[in-house]
Amino acid sequence: MARSVETWLVVVVLGGLILFGAAQILLRNVFSISFAWGDGLTRLAVLWLGLLGALAASRDGRHITMGAVGRLLPQRLQVVALVTADVFAAVVCGALAWYSWMFVSDSREFGDVLLDGIPAWWLQAIMPVAFGLMTYQFIAQGISRLRGSRAALVAHL
Amino acid sequence: MSFAVAALLIVITLLGAPLFTVIGAGALTGFHREGVDLSVVAIEFFGLSETPVLVAIPLFTFAGFLLSAGHAPQRLVRLSQALLGWFPGGLAVISLIACALFTAFTGASGVTIIALGALLFPALTQAGYDERFNLGLITASGSLGLLFAPSLPLILYGVVSEAPIDDLFVAGVLPGTLMIVLLSLYSYWRNRKLHYVVTERSWSAAWAAVVAARWDLPLPVVVLGGIYSGYFAVSEAAAVTALYVVIVELVILREVPWRDLPRIMRESTVLVGAILAILGVSLASTNLMIDTGVPQRLFALVSQYVEGPTTFLLVLLLFLLVLGAILDIFSAIVLIVPLLLPIAAQYGIDPIHLGIVFLAAMELGYLTPPVGLNLFIASHRFEKDITEIYWATQPFLIVSLIAVVIIAFWPDLSLVLLGR
Repeated sequence: MARSVETWLVVVVLGGLILFGAAQILLRNVFSISFAWGDGLTRLAVLWLGLLGALAASRDGRHITMGAVGRLLPQRLQVVALVTADVFAAVVCGALAWYSWMFVSDSREFGDVLLDGIPAWWLQAIMPVAFGLMTYQFIAQGISRLRGSRAALVAHL
Repeated sequence: MSFAVAALLIVITLLGAPLFTVIGAGALTGFHREGVDLSVVAIEFFGLSETPVLVAIPLFTFAGFLLSAGHAPQRLVRLSQALLGWFPGGLAVISLIACALFTAFTGASGVTIIALGALLFPALTQAGYDERFNLGLITASGSLGLLFAPSLPLILYGVVSEAPIDDLFVAGVLPGTLMIVLLSLYSYWRNRKLHYVVTERSWSAAWAAVVAARWDLPLPVVVLGGIYSGYFAVSEAAAVTALYVVIVELVILREVPWRDLPRIMRESTVLVGAILAILGVSLASTNLMIDTGVPQRLFALVSQYVEGPTTFLLVLLLFLLVLGAILDIFSAIVLIVPLLLPIAAQYGIDPIHLGIVFLAAMELGYLTPPVGLNLFIASHRFEKDITEIYWATQPFLIVSLIAVVIIAFWPDLSLVLLGR
């Protein structure tokens, strides 16, 4: 469920980027129309897409890692290593979520605006949300690894 | 950063923590030591939305993923085979060229080995090449083409270094071609005693292959022609390319069903998200390093031992080869390039040339253990032991290394087309 919401948001933002990008070229070259906020909107969409992608990568376990060494460990230790990594990732994402939240509430308090008058914090709010969900994702991943290894152990006995 | 923190971060990296969390932790602890309010890390990350041309990355990546989901790889191989397959030894050259073109579009994420390797490997075997040569060739070709537009690492280098991306696109042409030429020469020499099995030359087959590829052939024109004619900017070319590929694959040729589109978009965005997460946190860590004067100290250290641009380039190459063996190309670009640029500038190295050298040297990292991505993918794809793949790629690695040395010490090769 959450996964498909994520996927559809990706479709909307990425599809929007493609269509809006192409439309801008057409409007500019054929009708000499251009939007002052077009560039800003595009760049914000890239931030959104990047965070959605990072969230999806957390769910799919597809972040860039250097964990080749971990793979050389014996199976039991491998689980310990990966769960430790999950806990670490969850803590860092939690911190990033918290400080993003600070950043967004400051921006709300100061009444920052982007793109011709839209409150900046509306557009920035994706950051604490995405990092918060990543925190959850890494915790869930760690728990499921522990469960999996326990089940494997029980089956072994 | 204290040594204890650094050691801890290295251990946690080796345990398999995502690199962006490691860099993020480094930035958070570093700013904490400097007594700076930590929401600065979030502010820097938000800087992703203030970076121009970044939009080209998700758009080109998606276009590449969509192309490989259809039958474009088959058409590319068929076309090159029809045009060059009658030529003794031509198939090895075809493989190199086809892989380079395909990698330029898909960003060396291993897609080339999976999509093209499956087609080229049996074709090479049929033409009489031995298995070990084929394994090495396909594995090595999986990252060939990084220097050609619109490859992802090339764009990312432009974003990070603020060098004009259209200049980088031009600068990569000759060095990238040199790599293909040297590898082709090696293929000839290695197979000089081989009795080639060649296909018959047929104009009608060649024409049929051209007709089959009629929708793919305009792509390089859309990408490069649009940019160089000044008709649109790099980010606009990316949007046009993505839209063009959607129309061709889903509406005209209907090779990819509409219901697959969300999955393909998600997959390409996962790669983009993994890269942008690292870029976002390293905006913060780079700023921290600049605030604390790391580049100056690094330069002071380097200039004690390294005199003149030639020695510098030599040391740089050694450093990059080691770096490429332990760090993937995207992380290396965002982490190292900001530190490297000011130092290289002191030695009078052109930032465009530096970028080409950087990427060419990192390309070798795909073939060197322990993290050589191509080795893992080829081992998985062809069900061979990783050590077997490794030894098969050795000669290709050495030839590529020669190319990298030439590229590093012959700056004109990168710069001449720019008129510098």
